[in-house]
Amino acid sequence: MQTLLSLSNDLAAAVERAARAVVTVHARPRLPSTGVLWRPGIVVTAEHTVRVDEEIRVTWSDGRAAPATLVGRDPGTDLAVLRIGESDPTTAEIGDSAELKVGHLVLAVGYGPRASWGVVSAVGGAWRTGRGGEVDRLLRVDLVLYPGFSGGPLVDASGKVAGLVTSGLSRQLELAVPTATVTRVVDELLATGRVSRGYLGVGLQPVALPEALGRLAPGADARGLIVVGVVADGPAARAGLMLGDVLVALEGTPLHDLGDVQAAIAGRRAGTAVTVSLFRAGTPLDVAVTLAERPSRRR
Amino acid sequence: MEVVERPHPLTSDLADVVGRLRENTVELRTRGRASGSGVIWRSDGLIVTNAHVVAGAGPAPPGAQVVLADGCRFPAALVAWDRELDLALLRVEACDLPAALVGDSDRLRAGELVLAVGHPFGLVGAVVSGIVHAAPARGHHAGPQWIQADLRLAPGNSGGPMADAAGRVVGVNAMIAGRLALAVPSRVVQTFAMRRAPR
Repeated sequence: MQTLLSLSNDLAAAVERAARAVVTVHARPRLPSTGVLWRPGIVVTAEHTVRVDEEIRVTWSDGRAAPATLVGRDPGTDLAVLRIGESDPTTAEIGDSAELKVGHLVLAVGYGPRASWGVVSAVGGAWRTGRGGEVDRLLRVDLVLYPGFSGGPLVDASGKVAGLVTSGLSRQLELAVPTATVTRVVDELLATGRVSRGYLGVGLQPVALPEALGRLAPGADARGLIVVGVVADGPAARAGLMLGDVLVALEGTPLHDLGDVQAAIAGRRAGTAVTVSLFRAGTPLDVAVTLAERPSRRR
Repeated sequence: MEVVERPHPLTSDLADVVGRLRENTVELRTRGRASGSGVIWRSDGLIVTNAHVVAGAGPAPPGAQVVLADGCRFPAALVAWDRELDLALLRVEACDLPAALVGDSDRLRAGELVLAVGHPFGLVGAVVSGIVHAAPARGHHAGPQWIQADLRLAPGNSGGPMADAAGRVVGVNAMIAGRLALAVPSRVVQTFAMRRAPR
């Protein structure tokens, strides 16, 4: 019976270990969310749970409380960074999500502490979220994310943090943001207060090109993206892009679908000029567009 | 190279613990129908279940029966019940019953493994596994304090045991709230049984 008992003890110890760096984040009405002390004085939580910009508070399960200021948010990866006055020396022990394999036992820890368990159900390569964020690795878990768990740590059987769980990136799947992504976003938010992500300001739709045009396109491809909307005063509008232009390449990379456009611009910061190859009225044309920052959403 | 296949010790441990726990669990039948589960609290015939499982049955529920894991059936008498605690005591005329090992719910920690046995949907002795979601608040707060477990219970689990990794009963399954299983802590059950059970 020793093996079962020791597994049980290990799981409880893992929760306890992780819970030391777990705080309750009070940044929305009614239901608080969970945060992780990533570094001394720095709390990471799920962006979608931070509904206010001011008067944010964090509390610990032992009753301590501290005011927090919002350092920045990255809706793309659903991460927000808070700074707390109290520099609690207990920070999370951060592991490497890349070590997680399908089938590994994992726990999610919410404020309280509360816990749920399950296994890693899928891992994969880098992916882009619906809100344009770049996540280094797909990490899908089979566990219940109870109310308030968003922003809490995904913990391996030894108690090390393997990611941040959130219900904000997918409605259907339980996903975790890997530690490498969290650390990258934390660094960027601490440095500049935002995660810069290039923005074109156009609405696009995939189209098939007539054969004659297709032969002229880069890579002799017969597909492109037709401009069906131009955001007024956006980067594309300022560069003179028009309704009906058919985009075929960005910096020489062929564009087949919207994902290609996102992939081509997301790595480039606002302020960068990119060459967009397009067809206008059947004539090939190269236009330089200076990417800008995506206008922030209204809250 | 010779490969000897044997089950992982975890698997055999689990089978042992579950095997014993199933013996400690009874099925309750009222008016000929399965109504829930119960735990053999004492070998001399004291059975614990939820009040809501035997509710309305009255002091002498007509045809209330306790069915042991081995299939033996005993008529049962309702000894005591408390709707607020959602606990009830039944008595069967038997001795040397396989009584449950009772654990200490005050020592539960979040993340600990828990197992539940019951008779959901007419399945006999179905087992589910999970972990403690949040330990019950210690001390004497107002109102009942529940063990919250990340465990998938079904209606027929009511009154059945929730046990730790050593097979010690730490609670009596009582409710499903959201996706959480709620159990009456063994401390509360123990006190109730001591006060209300006939000697």
